[in-house]
Amino acid sequence: MSRHRNTILLSIGIVIFLALVPLLTKRNDLINLMVLIFLYICLAQSWNILAGYTGQVSLGHAAFFGLGAITTRILWVWGTPFLLAFLTGGVIAVVFALIIGHPALRLKGIYFAIGTLGLSQILKITIGNILPTVADLPGDYIATYTLIPRYYLCLILAVIIVVVVYLISRARLGLGMMAVREDEEAAKAAGVNTFRQKIIALTISTFFAGLAGGAFAFYHVSYYHDLPFNPIWTFDSLLITFVGGVGTIVGPIIGAFFYAIFKELFVRTFPQLHVFIFGILFILVVLLLPGGLVEMAARVRRLITAKDKSNG
Amino acid sequence: MLEIERINVSYGDLQALWDVSFRIEEKEIVALIGPNGAGKTTTLKTISGLLRPFAGEIRFEGLEMDRMPIHKRVEMGISLVPEGRGLFPGMSVLENLELGAFTAKGRSCKEETLEQVYELFPILKNRKKQAAGTLSGGEQQMLAIGRGLMSKPKLLLFDEPSWGLSPLLSKVIYEVIGQINNSGVTILLIEQNVRMALELANRAYVVENGRIMKQGNSRNMLDDKHIKEAYLGTEAV
Amino acid sequence: MSLQVFAQSLIFGIFVGGLYGLAAVGLSLVFGVMKMLNVAHGELLMLGGYVTFWFFSLYHIDPFLSLIPSAFVLFLIGMGLYKGLFSPLAKLHEEVKIKNSLLIGFGLSLVFHNLAIRLWTADERSVSVFYSGWGFSLFGLRFPFIRLAGLVLATIVILALQQFLTKTYFGKAIRATTENWESAALMGINIEKTSMISFALGATLAGMAGTVVSVGYAIHPAMGLEWTLKALIVVVLAGLGNIGGAFVAGVLLGATESVSALFVGPYMEVVGLVIFLLVLELRPQGLFGKRIG
Repeated sequence: MSRHRNTILLSIGIVIFLALVPLLTKRNDLINLMVLIFLYICLAQSWNILAGYTGQVSLGHAAFFGLGAITTRILWVWGTPFLLAFLTGGVIAVVFALIIGHPALRLKGIYFAIGTLGLSQILKITIGNILPTVADLPGDYIATYTLIPRYYLCLILAVIIVVVVYLISRARLGLGMMAVREDEEAAKAAGVNTFRQKIIALTISTFFAGLAGGAFAFYHVSYYHDLPFNPIWTFDSLLITFVGGVGTIVGPIIGAFFYAIFKELFVRTFPQLHVFIFGILFILVVLLLPGGLVEMAARVRRLITAKDKSNG
Repeated sequence: MLEIERINVSYGDLQALWDVSFRIEEKEIVALIGPNGAGKTTTLKTISGLLRPFAGEIRFEGLEMDRMPIHKRVEMGISLVPEGRGLFPGMSVLENLELGAFTAKGRSCKEETLEQVYELFPILKNRKKQAAGTLSGGEQQMLAIGRGLMSKPKLLLFDEPSWGLSPLLSKVIYEVIGQINNSGVTILLIEQNVRMALELANRAYVVENGRIMKQGNSRNMLDDKHIKEAYLGTEAV
Repeated sequence: MSLQVFAQSLIFGIFVGGLYGLAAVGLSLVFGVMKMLNVAHGELLMLGGYVTFWFFSLYHIDPFLSLIPSAFVLFLIGMGLYKGLFSPLAKLHEEVKIKNSLLIGFGLSLVFHNLAIRLWTADERSVSVFYSGWGFSLFGLRFPFIRLAGLVLATIVILALQQFLTKTYFGKAIRATTENWESAALMGINIEKTSMISFALGATLAGMAGTVVSVGYAIHPAMGLEWTLKALIVVVLAGLGNIGGAFVAGVLLGATESVSALFVGPYMEVVGLVIFLLVLELRPQGLFGKRIG
């Protein structure tokens, strides 16, 4: 139990440290990198809730990210107070999820995956046609743009979602979800309302995906309206979550960290190399190490303690 | 010909067979009888290679078979007529039979064997272009048996050959099995209809809860008190 | 809108639909035998296009002549991919197997996409031959040779495949494995080998479609997802495992898309996707297929 308490204390310490970073450094590139990491954490963790905990592999995550982004951006640029626009983005994402939720969740396994992919593509093409332009910020917004609020928004969002995942994993809700993941038929027989579990997971997942999109819209000065609907955001979520460790709390965090770092490292030399590397790692994880980096770390730790035991 | 020595088989974490041992000599007909879920089908699946034991040995004609993949066992002369027939429903009767002769040995005398099968089951010849899934239960069983013969097996395994068939049809099937044995094929069959199995077989093993409980000459078993009570008692005449 | 415009649209749609069908047939074949959905199928198609492009730019071999060596290359790649990535999944429980194969295919598609960018840059490429612009006119409608050839090729290949599946022993083994793999194994069929050859065949079929795309249209590293989706739509329309139906459904999709472009313009792809979702929802076994699982 004390190890558990230590982990919590460590986490709080890390969060406090992260909160102080903007005060400790003026390096914008570092702050931008951290914002990217926080965004990836939100993207991946929200996906993790659906896939890691209920076992529903969705390939349409970008749709909700995009909906959050576009809602937030448009409302905010029209003059809505940002926080309201931000939350509305999350809500719109959820509304859409609930509309397609019933028919979508009826689909089994691969049909759910390719169905959500199809859905996400429809959205992307539609938005791309309705709004083919760049989403620019009005002049006065640009004038008052500062990085720090973006940093804190993304940090807070990342923290909240990690806490939510933590709570889910410990609550009865989480047990229900994981039962669905392990064996849906058995769960049904045991009295678990599997559909309800999936809808709840879908709601939480898409809400935070929408918020992540809102944060994206707040952070980026200009981008094409259909960019957040691009399937790469879905792919990023999968890569990060699986390589880090799907179904774990820490996995997506570790994955996001390395993914962002690799991306920045190679941005001038091999712009997409981080995707290539993670793609290969991803395949290796699925074939050999389903628990991802988290499992690898656990194995290494076991190896070390075993060595210690035999030495000491 | 076939030696099963202390095999233990599990489905995941669920153990189905415990230290099962028996043997089959050439040209014999041996029956495995016992209640539902006792492990009879599991045994056949293990012999044919669909399942692997985690302990124990299987020897066919002296050769250890544990690592042998399914298709190799067929080439060696073991053929299984599975539970529920296992036909290819979308393919024609003729195609099903042709697939039975897939092995090199089977293909080399395919036409000859086909004629023999048609002699045994004339109705298959009539229906040879028909899709296997559209046949009646009895016809499907005949096709399954015919298909099993196409590989020219030395040992033919039957999983519940009378399942779902009328008593009359079951009798016909059993007569055919007897004929097949007469032509030199060793038979191992599992069967719910204990009386029919014992009347055809030379020897029998009783399987209960994944273990061999009793064994012996089938004539003796027909008279055995325990068997009479457990398996023959409530049979309608 | 005149009848001529409509008819011309229809014709172009049928031409590209033949390629959709060819792409889908490979995917369907693989799923039937292995019960795995390879979502990197579009990338294999792209690879076929780039191999053709290489044969043409490096050795000046006409793309239709390089079909054979190109098919051979794709066949080898397919075998390698099967052995390395999909074969280990074969032993798994059906649901886990399908999910993991989806994930592996997904990872593969990203790797190939990036490899393509590295090797050929992100620009569009096309194979331009001397007869690229040729064609004939009939009733005022234009029939470009290359696109017509694409349709003819697709038809020939699929007919050949049908013959292979119905007349040869190995072809029957493939069909048997698709219907009941356990029984197929009990016939003495080597399931591992059958799966590997089927996967390699699927890759070859995709590659051939890619060849035509490189000549008649254009190829670029990001095209994989687009084509995978097209193949998926067709496969779902026809029913997983239905080969002949896949060709027909492909042509239907192509024609529908092309004609709907006249009415909804840039939303023509959405039409296909919406049909896809409707079929998934209401009739997952496809318009012509039977239920799986």
